[in-house]
Amino acid sequence: MVKITFREHDGSETIVDARPGLSLMKNAVAANVPGILAECGGNCACGTCRIYFDPEWRALMGTPRESEVEMLDYWHEEGDGARLSCQVLAVEAMEGMVLRLPESQS
Amino acid sequence: MSEADPGIDYDKTDVFTAYDIAAKPHPYFEYLRGKGPIVPLGYRNVVAVTGYDEGLAIFRDDINFSAINTVTGPYLPLDYDPHRPMDEQIEECRANNGYLSSVMSEDTAAHEKSKAILNGIITPARMKANEAYMYEVADQIIDEFIGKGRFNVVTDFGQPFAQLVIAELIGVPPEDRVAVRGMAADPGQMPGNLGGGFDMSANPLLRMGMQFYGYVLDRRANPRDDVLTRLCEQTYDDGTLPPPEAVVAVATFLFGAGQDTTVQLFAAMLRQLADNPGLEDRLRAEPALIPDFVDEVLRIEGVTKSTFRYVRNRTTVGDFTFEPGQHVMLHISAMNRDPAKFENPAAFDVGRKNVRQHVSFGRGLHACAGGPLARAEGRVAIERLLARARNFRIDEGRHGPQGARQFDFLPNYSLYGVLEQQMTFERI
Ligand code: HEM
Repeated sequence: MVKITFREHDGSETIVDARPGLSLMKNAVAANVPGILAECGGNCACGTCRIYFDPEWRALMGTPRESEVEMLDYWHEEGDGARLSCQVLAVEAMEGMVLRLPESQS
Repeated sequence: MSEADPGIDYDKTDVFTAYDIAAKPHPYFEYLRGKGPIVPLGYRNVVAVTGYDEGLAIFRDDINFSAINTVTGPYLPLDYDPHRPMDEQIEECRANNGYLSSVMSEDTAAHEKSKAILNGIITPARMKANEAYMYEVADQIIDEFIGKGRFNVVTDFGQPFAQLVIAELIGVPPEDRVAVRGMAADPGQMPGNLGGGFDMSANPLLRMGMQFYGYVLDRRANPRDDVLTRLCEQTYDDGTLPPPEAVVAVATFLFGAGQDTTVQLFAAMLRQLADNPGLEDRLRAEPALIPDFVDEVLRIEGVTKSTFRYVRNRTTVGDFTFEPGQHVMLHISAMNRDPAKFENPAAFDVGRKNVRQHVSFGRGLHACAGGPLARAEGRVAIERLLARARNFRIDEGRHGPQGARQFDFLPNYSLYGVLEQQMTFERI
């Protein structure tokens, strides 16, 4: 298990004991993180599981596929600090990572 | 629609056979809600859920709740034996019943694989790119009846529109589309049919499978710019390419899944327009309201009244403890009218702030893969109908006056909708 913190737009936090190999979205939903709505259940089709990360985690967050880039554009996410948590698998090295959540998911 | 008590003794009525409840579900849902958000029915080992938070918790928990009974409900051919491992019994049941292996009924690892094929295929962004075609098709179909001043929403508009849009989107070649048009499931043979009997093999949409097999092989050899090609190029999480059968299964399901539901969305939207004077003009003046109109219709009319989950492990939700082998009947339409979530829930209100939080597309891992498409179709349909005609009215000669309408409803405990909806209008 890896400890990952999800910080809501209002500052409240949920520390999730995440299972490596499972998407960040699924880990968050299982732990009832309020700001991960995940309306489409992990289809890369709704953009309501967006997460923001700091540059030091860049390497672990990988690069989004084309359909995810479209979804992020749709939500006007600019820069490279955002991803859909349904498209990122948790890995051991994410221990201690803090992810911020957008206002529209609060 | 009147919400008055229709005079049914619900304590003595079986929701799985009663046409009166299929035709008028909301008084029944309010009767259930009066007993609590989670209520055992006392027959067929079914527990009904009407509470929003409770239902959401169940939608999100695919560990304790299996999706194996989503299409069969309690008519699942499985007699749970508490002395044998649950997973073994579920997998045995699935292996013996081919119709239980669609993406909608799959669990965990198998479901994840099917979902990997669907990943990113139907998104709001992609629907924008297909909009021009949707407008074109909507206008072509409207042209066919615009001169008559009347139409049957189900067969003259809804079915051809939904069929041609999904056929184009998936990439059914134009020469095969004529055959697609007019292909509709027999309303008495759909999953959720009252009494439990339905013959999936009789569903012409699902019989398209063989044809899709040919398309998939063709796209792998000759990629094009369509959904089928994208489905064919999707890989599993480990980078491997799914076998053609897996792609065919998902594509065929996509093709069939979005038809009866979307048709009923169109019919429900037009009933609301007809019964709310002034709404038509308001939407014409402020087209930006149309997406919220579509969602408010989805919330209040609930095309998918109910879906099911099968309890895998003993687990507690709210104050209720579920036991293995129980069938959970999730009343989506009742969750959408939970007063703890939606203020004045039975009122139709286009300005409702939290309208998008309805669960008409389900939630969690099995949430509807076609939501963005259904929303786009709903919006385009209304935009074009309102642009070309006004004064949409239910034909009173056929269906009676407002407050005393007579419709033939789908004889179904999962889907809510009408078999026919005759309407009149004035051409603009
Ligand atoms: C108004 C129209 C529609 C409504 C109300 C609707 C509703 C739903 C609901 C409630 C579910 C989830 C069932 C459950 O969790 O037990 C679902 C699943 C699904 N829907 Fe839709 N749907 C609509 C249109 C469409 C369209 C247009 C498509 C295809 C293009 C589609 C494809 C699917 C698929 C593939 C699933 C299964 C997803 C899974 O199990 O992972 N639907 N739909």
